[in-house]
Amino acid sequence: MIYEVSVGDRRLRVEVVADGRFFIDDAVVAAEMTEVRRGRQWSVRIAGRSHEVTLLTNEPLRLLVDGTETTAGALDERAASAARGAGAARGGRHELRAPMPGLLKTVHVAEGDVVESGAPLMTLEAMKMENELLAPARGRVVRLAVGPGAKVEGGEMLVVLEEAE
Amino acid sequence: MRVIRACRELGIRAVAVYSDADRDALHVRLADEAYPIGPAAPRESYLAIGKLIEVARRAKCDAVHPGYGFLSENADFADAVRDAGLVFVGPPGDVQRSLGEKTHARRLARDAGVPVADGTAEPLRDLDHARREAERIGYPVMLKAAGGGGGKGLRAVASVAELDAAWRLASGEASGAFGNSAMFLEKLIERARHVEMQILADGHGGIVWLGERDCSIQRRHQKLVEESPAPSVDDRLRERLGDAAVRIARAAGYQNAGTVEFLVDARGAFSFLEVNTRLQVEHPVTELVTGLDLVALQLRIAAGEPLPFAQSDVRRSGAAIECRVTAEDAQHGFVPATGRIALLREPGGPGVRVDSGLFEGLAVTSDYDPLLMKVIAHGADRTEALARARRAVKETIVAGLSTSLAFHSHVLAEPDFVAGRYDTGYVATHWPPRSPVELDDSALTAAALTAVLASRTRSARRPVAASDGEWSRAGREDALR
Repeated sequence: MIYEVSVGDRRLRVEVVADGRFFIDDAVVAAEMTEVRRGRQWSVRIAGRSHEVTLLTNEPLRLLVDGTETTAGALDERAASAARGAGAARGGRHELRAPMPGLLKTVHVAEGDVVESGAPLMTLEAMKMENELLAPARGRVVRLAVGPGAKVEGGEMLVVLEEAE
Repeated sequence: MRVIRACRELGIRAVAVYSDADRDALHVRLADEAYPIGPAAPRESYLAIGKLIEVARRAKCDAVHPGYGFLSENADFADAVRDAGLVFVGPPGDVQRSLGEKTHARRLARDAGVPVADGTAEPLRDLDHARREAERIGYPVMLKAAGGGGGKGLRAVASVAELDAAWRLASGEASGAFGNSAMFLEKLIERARHVEMQILADGHGGIVWLGERDCSIQRRHQKLVEESPAPSVDDRLRERLGDAAVRIARAAGYQNAGTVEFLVDARGAFSFLEVNTRLQVEHPVTELVTGLDLVALQLRIAAGEPLPFAQSDVRRSGAAIECRVTAEDAQHGFVPATGRIALLREPGGPGVRVDSGLFEGLAVTSDYDPLLMKVIAHGADRTEALARARRAVKETIVAGLSTSLAFHSHVLAEPDFVAGRYDTGYVATHWPPRSPVELDDSALTAAALTAVLASRTRSARRPVAASDGEWSRAGREDALR
């Protein structure tokens, strides 16, 4: 199986063959790995060099490599080509998501409102700090997904804005 | 946790309280007795004075230590504890009240002959009043909650155009967090360092200062790294800050542990900021440098004992640096993160102290402050303390959610910080780093192989295509183990 792997801003092609050998960018790698904690932490020896790799978070995939944090990703070839085929998001439409978990204190707009770029749309309270969500462009509020008083999770959809002339 | 530890050493029984969200918390398990005080929402538990007093009575407590958050600077709580016939471990309610009202504290400092930044002498009446005063003081200004603290309810305002929004947000935060939306203005001192002086005062007129901490490394006006001695403070300035802090404490009739905060500008001139009428999160830095147990001293002072040493007995040795590890995504503007601790490794070894309530399986929610643990390093000098801090942070693993650890790793090795050249603008100008940390080829390979395994593990939880099954088994069991 061949994987397209990213570590930080580096891209590598990793091939795992059934006899247990690895190829990275077509060069064979003598690596010995033990899973220290199931699905979470590995000890990796490569030509005598000892590394400890811990999976910090899954989505996004973040690894701790010998005390250094890095983002990573691995897609098998099929998934990678599928991902390349997916089109870009529809232009002119903005989905605003909660940047962090918190309490939605105030909603400053209603569905159908046309707002200027930079206008406050909502006030989110997290850790006792109030944060205003601002309109990224002039546009019409086509959907309010949540109301005041709602407890929202990080990444939860809050507002959909369609750019207006 | 910190308070329980001191109690244990002094042979005092410790009674903990907890909200529904904290039933599993470490402080509950390590206390001698523990009592529930209501739901997760602080207003219905940790801020509910009546419930706390009731527990203290029922458990036949002698004294109440308010910790560092929640009610630790609430004068009504201190009064309620006293009125219930219990000892409050901290300054009396009226002292807290006079210092907690920031414009009053500023007047008190000025009258004690301590420099104070230009600002409003009284709380502002309204936005119009704020506009006029800001004009008089001159932008940039700081808009601050008169009853505030902990970095909440304050905004830097660069021009009149920003004042409206700053007023709305800061006063909203202030009324939510402190139940008091009164605001005041202060001249913003640019490129200032946040330097604070630790004091101890007994009930017999004895007041000592123990040394300063530089807490300039902040985001959203909340501290991330603290150290002592402050790189910008020489012996002479230290004496002057100590003397100023003691004068303010004397003028306020202060008792117990407290911190007097100052801003020190690029030329070494200082101005009084505020007094924190409690033990602070960063107190271990001072403990490591002085060898004192501040919580134990708090308890002894509260019991009516005089300070067991004089100013000339205070010895400071070496340097200490604290990293506050928070549940925040440091890569993306320090937004709060939540999750379950999946794997934890706390650092150890010479000169390293960890104050933490973490354990594997703990669910970190957005209910409370994002502080997870403190890693504090002490060395014979700043160079050794830094080396130990760097080493300790690299040893630390908190998996399962985003944390500030990558930020700490970066700062501890960053040339300006290492040289002691930093001020309160540091985080904005030095984070995130322009170039990501480079892994060498061997480490990169290890990471790449792990990424493949991790992606396999994840897809294994989803329906697996038939053709994947063979490899999955072969790969996991033969090749990869």
